[in-house]
Amino acid sequence: MEVSSLPISASHRGKLISAGYSSLSSLSSVSPSKLAQDLKISENEVLKILKVVSARKGGHRKNTLRVDISPPLQSGIPFGVPVPPSPFGCFRLPSLVPSGPTRLRIVGQPFSPAITRAQTAWDILHEEESSICITTSCSDLDEILGGGIRCKEVTEIDTEGSFMVERASQIAEACAEDMLEYNSLLRKDSQACRVDKPPKAFMDNIFYFRICTYTEQIAVVNYLEKFINEHKDIKIVIIDSITFHFRQEFEDMALRTRLLSGMALKLMKLAKKFNLAVVLLNQVTTKYNEGSFQLTLALGDSWAHASTNRIILYWNGNERYAYIDKSPSMRSASAPYAVTSRGIRNSASNCKRVKLM
Amino acid sequence: MKPEDLLRHPLPTQTPKLTLGCPILDRFLGGGIPCDTITEIFAESGTGKTQLSLQLLLAAQLPISRGGLSASSLYLHSEFPFPSRRLHQLSFYRPHLPQNPLDRIFVEPLHSTDHLLDVLPRLDFLVPKLNIKLIVIDSIAALFRGEYENTPLELKRRSGVFFKISSKLKFLAREFGLAVVLTNQVVDVMGSSNNLRIGNSMSLCSSGRTVCAALGLSWANCVNMRLFMWREEEKVGMSEEERLGEGDGSFQRLQTRRFIRVVFAPHLPDSSCEFVIRREGILGVS
Repeated sequence: MEVSSLPISASHRGKLISAGYSSLSSLSSVSPSKLAQDLKISENEVLKILKVVSARKGGHRKNTLRVDISPPLQSGIPFGVPVPPSPFGCFRLPSLVPSGPTRLRIVGQPFSPAITRAQTAWDILHEEESSICITTSCSDLDEILGGGIRCKEVTEIDTEGSFMVERASQIAEACAEDMLEYNSLLRKDSQACRVDKPPKAFMDNIFYFRICTYTEQIAVVNYLEKFINEHKDIKIVIIDSITFHFRQEFEDMALRTRLLSGMALKLMKLAKKFNLAVVLLNQVTTKYNEGSFQLTLALGDSWAHASTNRIILYWNGNERYAYIDKSPSMRSASAPYAVTSRGIRNSASNCKRVKLM
Repeated sequence: MKPEDLLRHPLPTQTPKLTLGCPILDRFLGGGIPCDTITEIFAESGTGKTQLSLQLLLAAQLPISRGGLSASSLYLHSEFPFPSRRLHQLSFYRPHLPQNPLDRIFVEPLHSTDHLLDVLPRLDFLVPKLNIKLIVIDSIAALFRGEYENTPLELKRRSGVFFKISSKLKFLAREFGLAVVLTNQVVDVMGSSNNLRIGNSMSLCSSGRTVCAALGLSWANCVNMRLFMWREEEKVGMSEEERLGEGDGSFQRLQTRRFIRVVFAPHLPDSSCEFVIRREGILGVS
């Protein structure tokens, strides 16, 4: 079902499906004002949804021209031509023309099997659009993240914590209940989207490593490649406090930086190879700067390069906020959220609009 | 050690918990003090931290069916003297304890952080030999407060020591399934320092002062669960004379009320509970 795979927030997806718009073609023929009326949301949000839809449809248009050299030579670099700019304003970069006998082939679809190793920016864009986003169960957070936590990237969140089985099963039960409720909103012929998992099934699918020293941490990260090869279904790796063991007294700070950057590279490689989401949790510390103490992120500036996205969680008065500090595709924004017995949900405050910084 | 050994699958259904000895307080904590984690209790002096730790030392010896851990406990104290008489008194009022409960409580005085760092590696060997399942350190703040100057370099060194201690305690907790309880002191919060807000330490008040836990932000990252105990002085209902305006107004009866609150915990919501300290120990009030 095409609508369910759109990178929009879960609440909009639910509203679209319950209003009967399950395929992209049904959306192209409706006017924005009628859609706003049907879904009971503002026209701005409808326009945003329609923009995402047209970008998705643009990817599947048959008349997208792409010229590439086939078979790919040693360098494997295809020759591309600029196509009409997509809504994202991206066009492919022309690359080097390899010498020697070549064969020009015009393909109709973006995903050509001839292009195996090298990718153009267009390929990467389409892969990104069709990649799965893991929802955070809080639609405001999903909105600022562009759908959720993206697979194939490393997302870093600053916080602290530890794993308690009772809390995980409490959240699993709440999730199973929410899924059942969601099922009732789906139309009867949409069997594929039904999620009917008992809470125990959620818990069985969590693989939990408990590490106590930094050597164990490095060993487990090295072992992850083999582990994920054995369990192909793993889609998200979460490391709760990647910093904890590195904040002890390391006499050799250069060693610490080397270990951390080595670990970051391995995690990035894992994320790309297996198409996973990797979520790292970091801590906040104080830095002494010109006579005053300021809050800053632990592990230093060199760690800032390790992750693709960075989200900072902070308190503002009595409310919790998440702020996107670094992201290649989403703009800086903050959104409130609340921690409830059912997990993270939208904050119930009056001011629910996403604040753009 | 192989990385495969570090995997825990399937997950256990429940973390074992140590009862506090009172059903109301146990319900407030979702069963009791969890094992395999570090719990910190911080409060002003005279609120009842030591009383609670003594109660836990005895509760650890209860059989598992009654919420105990059926094992010995270790009490590391940096504040002197050790309250042996009170412990003895408490042991009379705790039902279902095995014979000679004081024989199963091991006590070690601590003099400095270096001393603690020396004691911790010895526990690798002592804990399984003596069947210890609970370690109480009373109090961790007293060890640090005299030793480090207030310069950034010293504070950074102090943070390094926090993580070392916490890492070792967490290793012991995982290896032997221990419950670790630490007590901490409070410091006053001056003014509204918005930039140094330690998580949700908003209006924590004890005896009318705004306080927060000692040892700062780094230490807050070292513990898994934090409980705050506080007390309030309350004026009890006025006597007949005062109500009629005849009393001289200078003799006010004050009553101390004590509360305990979850500041942060991975599995508990923010809630608080009142308690009283009696001869039998600490009891929750519903």
